[in-house]
Amino acid sequence: MFNKYVASGTLAILGLSVCLHAQEFKIGNKDVQVHGFGTQGYVKTNDNNWLTMNTSDSGSGAFTDAGLNIGSQITSTLRVGGQVYDRKLGQLGDWHPLLDWAMADYRPKPWLGFRAGKVKTVLGLFTDSQDMDFANTFALLPQSVYPIDLRDASIAHLGGDIYGREKLGHNLGSIAYTAYGGRRSDNMHSGYPYLLSGLAGIYMTSYGGPVFGGDLRWNPPVRGLTVGMSRLNEMITGKGSYDGKLGIPAQPHYQENSKHDWTNQYYGRFVKEKLHAESEYRRYLRDQIIFSGLSWVETDIRGWYVGGGYQVNRWVEAGSYYSHYRIFPSGGAGVATSYPDAQTHDFDKVVTAKLTLNQYITVKVEGHFMDGNGSALYPAGFYSNVNPSGFANNTNALVVRTGFSF
Amino acid sequence: MKKLLYALLIAASASIFAGQAHAQVIVIANPGVKATEISKSDLRDVFTGNATSLKDGTRVVPILLKAGTAHEEFLQVYIGKSDSAYRAGWRSLVFSGQASMPKNLDPESAVVEFVAHNAGAIGYIGKATPHEGVKVIAVK
Repeated sequence: MFNKYVASGTLAILGLSVCLHAQEFKIGNKDVQVHGFGTQGYVKTNDNNWLTMNTSDSGSGAFTDAGLNIGSQITSTLRVGGQVYDRKLGQLGDWHPLLDWAMADYRPKPWLGFRAGKVKTVLGLFTDSQDMDFANTFALLPQSVYPIDLRDASIAHLGGDIYGREKLGHNLGSIAYTAYGGRRSDNMHSGYPYLLSGLAGIYMTSYGGPVFGGDLRWNPPVRGLTVGMSRLNEMITGKGSYDGKLGIPAQPHYQENSKHDWTNQYYGRFVKEKLHAESEYRRYLRDQIIFSGLSWVETDIRGWYVGGGYQVNRWVEAGSYYSHYRIFPSGGAGVATSYPDAQTHDFDKVVTAKLTLNQYITVKVEGHFMDGNGSALYPAGFYSNVNPSGFANNTNALVVRTGFSF
Repeated sequence: MKKLLYALLIAASASIFAGQAHAQVIVIANPGVKATEISKSDLRDVFTGNATSLKDGTRVVPILLKAGTAHEEFLQVYIGKSDSAYRAGWRSLVFSGQASMPKNLDPESAVVEFVAHNAGAIGYIGKATPHEGVKVIAVK
């Protein structure tokens, strides 16, 4: 598994980086830019299979993603563009390419802009940039706040944004705001449908619904400091079929709906020359009617992290974070709500070394030391589908990830 | 004590020379740009994609150098990032749909040529580089 995926993927990255540079050409008199990125990773755990990969034997290289975008500044106030994204993360993604975003962006004033189409969602510091391996210190962002297996849940919405940025008077810095509304529509090759298929015998065919929210961030008159908060409200409907696995009669037309579904996220980041430090807190409350009205489930998920990195020299950056995840589950008929402590938390201590070979290629080597597996009732990286014998309480993981961008 | 004084003298000399080195980068703009000066924070906002216009409302387009001493100094003095971190920041904006990648030109004469002939263009070059046809913007 290591040889098949990792060697070929890494060689592809190195080869592509030699011959690929950002492409720019003209259509009429308009410049059109093409950019891309790709990563190849390898994960080995000492126990438990992680992120739907078979990581506990010889490790797994089923950890690849790539994106390609095209864009053009039509006028000084109007830009258009789009991006296609594809990935394989163990059993997720599975090489089903997605339209990641595609929008028109009209910004007549610095304090007032409009985006419409499929738009990346602004939620916390890194939701809209979580795929950009080149921009992040870590091979995996803190999973308590940015679960890679649930990328589809918050990455983008089909709708519109109003946004802007304005300097404040009296030397109070500047603020930036985003308000959005639209619709979320999850890829069926993502973590939640995969969890339900193994855990509950529920096979989703659609999952999504209206979303709206906003973000407000302040850059105070301390250079490099950003603080802010985000809010996301959703009204999600999932449809599919249920095979009767949990004792509730089978339902060929299964449905679940949100009663309440919201996320609050608070964050702060400080960047000064070679150093960056950041911390975020996310609370995700999900209260649903399930089994077509016969039962209910509530998951109150609280995650936070604190971390940072330091550029040791022009090639090497060292980083570390502590990620803290807790889930508080409750529910009605057919819903297990009592779990061993290890299944209701995941405390992850992480150390990373990032090597920047040139402006196109990065390599990261990262260690994860996880206390708990957070596997109660909602995806948190550990799935019964690939751990049929149950879960060990703790997991250590080595993650190596190479990436290119142009 | 002598060693300490010697070290302080070296450090003071280095800071003096460093200050002189900082003065070697100048900001240039198309003659159509009305502003004659720009604050450090406004300059940083333009060259990090946070702003597309100056205080007076003039739309500006940043032009970058591909590499070189002037580029390194500009990043050190006005942006506070390494070249790889700086370019990663721009790519983050590009890949999230928030900006287009600014033009990267080389050598400095190409920056002067482009800025001179493109409305709203703003760039940076070494002080000693000939810069006819553009205006120099003071950074305060």
